[in-house]
Amino acid sequence: MIRVENVKKEFVSAKKYPGLRGALKGLVSNEKVRKVAVDDISFHIKKGEIVGYIGSNGAGKSTTIKMMTGILTPTEGKCLVNGVDPCQNRKKNAKNIGVVFGQRTQLWWDLPLSESFTILKEIYDVSDEEYNERMEFLNRVLELNEFFSQPVRNLSLGQRMRADLGAALLHNPSVLYLDEPTIGLDIVVKDNIRAAIKEINEKYHTTVVLTTHDIQDIEELCSRILIIDKGKLIYDGSLVDLKDKYGTTRKVIMEVQDVNRAKNIPLDSYLSVDKEDYEITVDAENSSVTVSFDKNKLQVSDVIDQMLKHVDVKDIKVKETELGEIVMAIYNHDIVQEG
Amino acid sequence: MRQKLKIYWPFLENQLKSNLAYQGSFYLFIVCSLFGPFISYYLWMAIYGGSSDGVLGGLTQEQMVVYVFMTYITSSLVMIGIAEEISYDVMEGSVVMALLKPIDYRLSLISRSLGEMLYRFFAPVIFVWIGLEIYKVTVLKMGVTPIQNILLYIVSLSMSYLIYVLFDFCFGMFAFVTTYMFGLDMAKSALLGFLSGQIIPISFFPAVLQKVFVFLPFSSMVYTPVMVYLGKYSGEEIAFVLGRQFIWIILLYVLGSYLWGRITKRLVVLGG
Amino acid sequence: MKVLKRYARLYRVFVSQFFKTIVQSKANFFIGLIGFFLTQITGILFLYLVFEQIPVLADWNLDQLIFIYGFAQIPRGIDHLLTDNLWMLAWNLVVNGKFDRYMLRPMNLYMQVIFEKLQPDALGELLVGSILIVISLQKGIVIISGVNILLFVVSVLAGSVIYTAIKLLFASFAFWIKVSGPVLYTAYQFADFAKYPTGIYVKGVRFLITWIIPFAFVAYLPAAYFLVPNVNAFSTIGVECILSVAFFVFAYAVFIAGTKAYESAGN
Repeated sequence: MIRVENVKKEFVSAKKYPGLRGALKGLVSNEKVRKVAVDDISFHIKKGEIVGYIGSNGAGKSTTIKMMTGILTPTEGKCLVNGVDPCQNRKKNAKNIGVVFGQRTQLWWDLPLSESFTILKEIYDVSDEEYNERMEFLNRVLELNEFFSQPVRNLSLGQRMRADLGAALLHNPSVLYLDEPTIGLDIVVKDNIRAAIKEINEKYHTTVVLTTHDIQDIEELCSRILIIDKGKLIYDGSLVDLKDKYGTTRKVIMEVQDVNRAKNIPLDSYLSVDKEDYEITVDAENSSVTVSFDKNKLQVSDVIDQMLKHVDVKDIKVKETELGEIVMAIYNHDIVQEG
Repeated sequence: MRQKLKIYWPFLENQLKSNLAYQGSFYLFIVCSLFGPFISYYLWMAIYGGSSDGVLGGLTQEQMVVYVFMTYITSSLVMIGIAEEISYDVMEGSVVMALLKPIDYRLSLISRSLGEMLYRFFAPVIFVWIGLEIYKVTVLKMGVTPIQNILLYIVSLSMSYLIYVLFDFCFGMFAFVTTYMFGLDMAKSALLGFLSGQIIPISFFPAVLQKVFVFLPFSSMVYTPVMVYLGKYSGEEIAFVLGRQFIWIILLYVLGSYLWGRITKRLVVLGG
Repeated sequence: MKVLKRYARLYRVFVSQFFKTIVQSKANFFIGLIGFFLTQITGILFLYLVFEQIPVLADWNLDQLIFIYGFAQIPRGIDHLLTDNLWMLAWNLVVNGKFDRYMLRPMNLYMQVIFEKLQPDALGELLVGSILIVISLQKGIVIISGVNILLFVVSVLAGSVIYTAIKLLFASFAFWIKVSGPVLYTAYQFADFAKYPTGIYVKGVRFLITWIIPFAFVAYLPAAYFLVPNVNAFSTIGVECILSVAFFVFAYAVFIAGTKAYESAGN
């Protein structure tokens, strides 16, 4: 469906200097700054997949999306969407895709939403029959009826996002690009948007590529994720694999009678491992003790077993590493990057 | 005074900086702003070519050349609008912020426009001015402008500037009434250009209209300082036109305060 | 043909939406109309005042100058009415990344830009132009014949295309320099030179506004055809038509190249 091959994008801009003096200097200087936003990225996406595309701010997510949608021309490399090169054949590609930018609306600001849809119907050459069928579906999943006659500028952020999503889907695109579709929304609206995306994907087998900073978006929607950092693709695989690979830390959290006793338990000798393989931290105020360790080195059951044997435990919780923590670690370069 | 300067100086500095930040447009706006005087120049040359006695509206051809370029210099330094800024603040809603801060809104706008004036003085006014004086001496054979004319011109110009910004502040109050200041501003510029002497000297108007103009502030904006520079006024006349400028400053200041007071009162009542 | 029909229909849809927003703000409509009306009318008042003092200006009399001035307003007004959104392209569509949304739609990019706005302010200029033309025609300085009416219409249309081409060319620079408003403004200001007979300017200026930014062909030269007995139609209106097509093709090519170089916002 989507093939991205060795794509690179470079931006060139004039150098800026700070301050009043800098402004004067800028008048005469002509220095250029080069920035590689996307550096040699390749991946394939199959029909019907929902792919999460994540990375910190400025990592190159939006730039990649813009190349796949035909807004930007790659400096090097090639994109093919449904066999069409989005830059060479912009109009043909545009008929195939739907795009929502969370930060900016694609709709006409001063017109009522209904009028925006009328214009889009003409632009995408949607027949009356198809239009009615689509609208029925969109009204059901996105509840556009509530505000269909209002000017776009009067819509709340949540309404606007639903409207934008509806507008992007009017012509039944085979690929849907969502750039931060849940940014700034409250929990209920986020949930609705996610449910709608899921339903669209199931009903029409629409391929979805979404960028987000919301880990929940990823967990609920995506079977596969791509992680980009400083313009390079550093992870491409399933969510389960990511967790298996990087999320090997487990935490056993216990509420205990005697915190000090629990803290000094020699797990290393009981389980015959090294002292460095685990860590015990104490929260005296809540009389809670946390044992953190790598699940490949220690067994959760063994740890619990030993603790129950030697201390008075009132309550036990076991926590896996959350996806958010993994992603955070990747952003912070705590995890060694694979080629 | 020093305290005040400390508060309002950043407005001025910021304006200067943002002007300098765009190197491309920096030169272009200068080039572009010179079109007007050059079109006028050629037009007047052709017009004087069609006249029999060589004096039109009380000005010789040489004086008209000086008039055209001094008008350009004067209006560059005087007509620095603040109404546009007001309409922007009203639309963005930041005018309410201006009410909350312990600064005078009008003074902050004027500081900004002073920054713009400073910038325009160096690019390109001073060069055009020097160029004009050289042209006057070498080609027009008129001699350098006497120092007392230049000093009086600067006094009159400063008052012209105040008349214009205070007027524009009052005009800017329309921003609370309409959202289309762009159109209104076009109308204002057209009328001011015509009535202030920018396009044509006031002395070309029929005598009846000239008498009406005595009672309007517009000729004090451009025509008065330029005629002072040309040395067209006698001692008594100078005292009269400068006095008239001073009175307009006071009237427009009072009017602006009154309008602003009324509008802010309404803003407070409506809660912004 | 099918494509043409589709775009005609699209234009109707766009314009009818736009009219709805104009109706909502009648006050703005009148303010804009008056603003542009006054801007142009003061130029003509200037001529009236000047002709109080002199009989002819560079061999032209007042009536003829009024005809030239009025003639200049009509192509300007038509272009202003239809393609005003090019100014937005120059000032902010590129730098804000708002151009993205045009790139995402299966419709011609140039059409999308100009379809989006109709500028009723232009009626101010069209009004001034029509009034002045009517006034000068009443003086009998132009022969009204079938051929002349046809040539007038052709010339006005070609003149509008010249205006649009110049705007499109300089607005397109925005794709490379982000904001081309100042450049476009500068080029557009040259039109003011063309409101008067070009004979009054020095050679350099005359060359510039005849061949580089050909505003002289928008008004003065075709107007001269109607006013002066033995000026030939081809060397004025004919050349105007050729120039308008050539300039538009060139400007459009630059525009298309610009869309390929477009960098969006946020970098």
